[in-house]
Amino acid sequence: MRTRRPTVVVLSTLLAATLGTVTAPSTALGQPASAVQTAVAEPNQVSGLTVTQADGYATLAWTPIDGATDYQIERAPVDAGNVATGPAVIVGVWRPNRQINNEAPTFADAGFSPGDRFSWRVRARFDTTAQPYSTPVAGTTLAPWGNPDVPGESLRTQWETTKAAQYTSDVEEYAYTAEVDRLSERVRVVEIGRTVLNRPINMLVIGYPTPPPTAQAVAATSPLAINCNVHGNEPGDREACLVLARKLAFGKDAKTVDLLSHTTVLIVPTINGDGRAANTRGNSTGQDLNRDYSLIRQPETAAYVRMLRDYRPVAGYDGHEYGNSTAGDLPMLPPRHQNVAKQIFDESMDMIEGHMYVQGAKDGWWACPYGCQGGSGVGLSEETILRNTLGLKNTVNSLLELRSSGGQTRPDEGNSANNRRRKTYSAFWTFSQFLDYHRANLPAITQARSEAIEFQASNTGRLVFRGSRPIPLHPAPHPGEAGPRDDLPEPEMILDNAPCAYKLTEEQYNGARTDGPGEVGATVAERIAAHGWKVVKAADGYYVPLAQPERGLIPLLLDAQGAEEWVDGQRIYPTGTGRHNGPLSVSGFTCISGGTVNGPVTVRPGAVLIATGTTISGPVSAAGATGVFLADSTVRGPVQISGTTDAVSLVDNRISGPVALSANNTGSDVPLLAGNAVSGPLSCALNSPAPTNLGVPNQVNGPKAGQCAAL
Amino acid sequence: MSEPSNSSPVPGHVGRTAGRTQVRRASRRGPVSGASRRGAVSEASRRGAVSGASRRGPVSGASRRGAVSEGFWRGPVRLAAATLLAVATIGGCTDSDPAERGATARADARPAAAVTGPLCSALPSGTDPGNPASLTDEPGDVALRWIPVLTRFEAAVRAADLSAELRDPNGVTILAPTDDAFAKKFSEDNLDDLMIKQKNELRTLLRAHLVAGSYSLADLVAKGRVTTLDGTSVTITRADPMARIGDHTETVCADYQVAGGRIHLLNGVLGNLPTTADANGDPAH
Repeated sequence: MRTRRPTVVVLSTLLAATLGTVTAPSTALGQPASAVQTAVAEPNQVSGLTVTQADGYATLAWTPIDGATDYQIERAPVDAGNVATGPAVIVGVWRPNRQINNEAPTFADAGFSPGDRFSWRVRARFDTTAQPYSTPVAGTTLAPWGNPDVPGESLRTQWETTKAAQYTSDVEEYAYTAEVDRLSERVRVVEIGRTVLNRPINMLVIGYPTPPPTAQAVAATSPLAINCNVHGNEPGDREACLVLARKLAFGKDAKTVDLLSHTTVLIVPTINGDGRAANTRGNSTGQDLNRDYSLIRQPETAAYVRMLRDYRPVAGYDGHEYGNSTAGDLPMLPPRHQNVAKQIFDESMDMIEGHMYVQGAKDGWWACPYGCQGGSGVGLSEETILRNTLGLKNTVNSLLELRSSGGQTRPDEGNSANNRRRKTYSAFWTFSQFLDYHRANLPAITQARSEAIEFQASNTGRLVFRGSRPIPLHPAPHPGEAGPRDDLPEPEMILDNAPCAYKLTEEQYNGARTDGPGEVGATVAERIAAHGWKVVKAADGYYVPLAQPERGLIPLLLDAQGAEEWVDGQRIYPTGTGRHNGPLSVSGFTCISGGTVNGPVTVRPGAVLIATGTTISGPVSAAGATGVFLADSTVRGPVQISGTTDAVSLVDNRISGPVALSANNTGSDVPLLAGNAVSGPLSCALNSPAPTNLGVPNQVNGPKAGQCAAL
Repeated sequence: MSEPSNSSPVPGHVGRTAGRTQVRRASRRGPVSGASRRGAVSEASRRGAVSGASRRGPVSGASRRGAVSEGFWRGPVRLAAATLLAVATIGGCTDSDPAERGATARADARPAAAVTGPLCSALPSGTDPGNPASLTDEPGDVALRWIPVLTRFEAAVRAADLSAELRDPNGVTILAPTDDAFAKKFSEDNLDDLMIKQKNELRTLLRAHLVAGSYSLADLVAKGRVTTLDGTSVTITRADPMARIGDHTETVCADYQVAGGRIHLLNGVLGNLPTTADANGDPAH
């Protein structure tokens, strides 16, 4: 586990010391600060106010007053001569729990119509006693991104052209994204599926100078994915996504070009197009799609999961809105389900606390843990929620909530345009920061992902069906007084002795299901394929080994102990755990866990071998096997696998000897060769499909040849 | 896994599909400006927006009141015609199909009454899109789409297939609860259930917010009692400067004048359905 958090706090403190002087001379707008400072300050009058404009928001920063309880931020519309053209309003209250460093208070003001001009003042309060206002600072806010005279940049969403009176409709979205696609070489819009009512579900694939041509090529760039609108009545993030897509598609600034030169951005504006059009939370059947990402009963979630399988984003954000009026502006939460690899949980926490809290304190946005301050029933361990599903798929990610209601620190604005803009531009800030985080931390992200895949494939440790990791409170001052509920697993939700595999009957695997729209559901076989799990067919059923990257998710859907499972598969425990002396000939189904084979292993035609945590002193050879799974094991000798019919997986093994995969014809299953240390040559030939490493490279002390040359 | 076949990387490739005409029209009326409109059509076709719009049964069937209805495009059309940042007015548009505008379109040329109430200042005003003056010629169901705090009510009207009742040639008064009012009344699950599965109940609920005839707030207060279209008798009393509707609900922004009717915004939901909202019932992400 990496613990970046303490370092980050120190850095942010250093940053705080210099923030004012850095921003004041060059970017503060409005009246010259020097003139302000020469005036005689009243006691406890806030000084040093600066206002820095960004996309859809303005960051106010000021010198703190000793003993202040909180600060009020006031905004008034002004004309070019800074004469007020409308009433001044208190747009927010800064409290110490707002940011991790109190030495340099900041506040992001948003909600105004971008491009308008305002004057801001800040005053401290001691308890509820207001102190004198600072001298005002006026500034013109940034107009919506993109030069109106430059093709492409000039595109605007319906939400923008109506000044947020209307959200962008479905067909307007299609027209807008099609124009972005047509006018930008960087963008390709792909349809990843259809909704229940047959609306296209589009995804923008954005790269520089052009996006990689195939999903597989995109996957090789360690892409990141933003899911913008799963609940149809929570449209704020979606509008941010559409504006962000335009900026990524046409922005000529060095930062955008640099980002897109190093990765691919995947944006799904509307996974729930039917719900968005109807303004319902669920899809057209009433199903809450964010309770379906593991089960994939609905076409929308199935489309997203297939996209994850094919494009393999290494990091993700999932956009929502929420109505809690007492917590922060931007609640976030990592994948907490205890079956998520700890490396993914830790890196997701680092993304939230190490990046979002720090940048939020700099830019004035109040990120905080979802579930803080009265949210005790939310943010839990359901694997049906995308946050947890993504974690169980070894993707670093977070939930994002946009605060939709007023309260003690924000005015109560209802569903007004002002409130809509504040939400959307707070999402825009978060998603932009998400891109920055990915750019700066990709080695850490991919390392966490690699270690997580290796951990999962090793099939070690207990299984938890429901239950979360605690979210520790950030060291004070922290962005939320009370953290989310611990949500530790109940005893009946724990299985200490994990099986080796689940066996499904023909009926369980291929039988008709009634849990989809119109009481028609995809088969378990189709859903397993959508998740991308490996399955081997034996004479007595279908085996789903746990020795694979989504080991944490498999039992939640195939075990009778699961809270929301598809079927009650049969737990298959290892057939061998101890020491075996002499040659081992595998026929039928053999699972070895933590064993030792003192001799060569031969897998017979039609047989299945699963070995984890096992030492084999001798060659391993398989010819015509149904499946070969080897993980977290040591082989002192060559490994030769050929002619396999169903699945091949070698993950995190130490192999002293050449490794050769040849003529394995595994249908839709892609042979996996990831994270192995091979002393000797690695060669792959005539495999269909060609093996992959899922972005987890092998260390090969010898030549790599054929289909494995790049693994 | 290769990309879907319709994701041609060749910009401008036009896939001709059955529903192209419909999207062409949508695009024409969309915010995409000038020379790029044709491209938008082609691209939208290629992406499947067309076939999506035309093939999906429930949507096209409901399109005259649904998300892809023609009426929905009326607003953005004008915005496309104007420059994006300098929309002088969005009222007074004359390019829409008279048939769509209904018999009420030729209605009164009275000057728009100013809206009044504490919530009005948070709503589009002046020359902003959706300002009260721009809605005076719009049928009620279209006007609802421009008042940002009425998204629940507006969507419910579509879900319940009640647009026609909001275009009654004899006039209609719409007592529209705000989104906050809906949130105080119904849990999210309950509201989704009404919107998606209990459409008869939803229709009755909405009719409890409609009064035959077009009445200003002053008219309503003068009457003292009205019967809503669900048959319920509701008392109306003055609550300066607003009015109390029933026992627990007040107007918060009143006297939107629309074609053949009025819209008054309420801070509560009328009708007989039980309250299911739970202050701590956030259904969560």
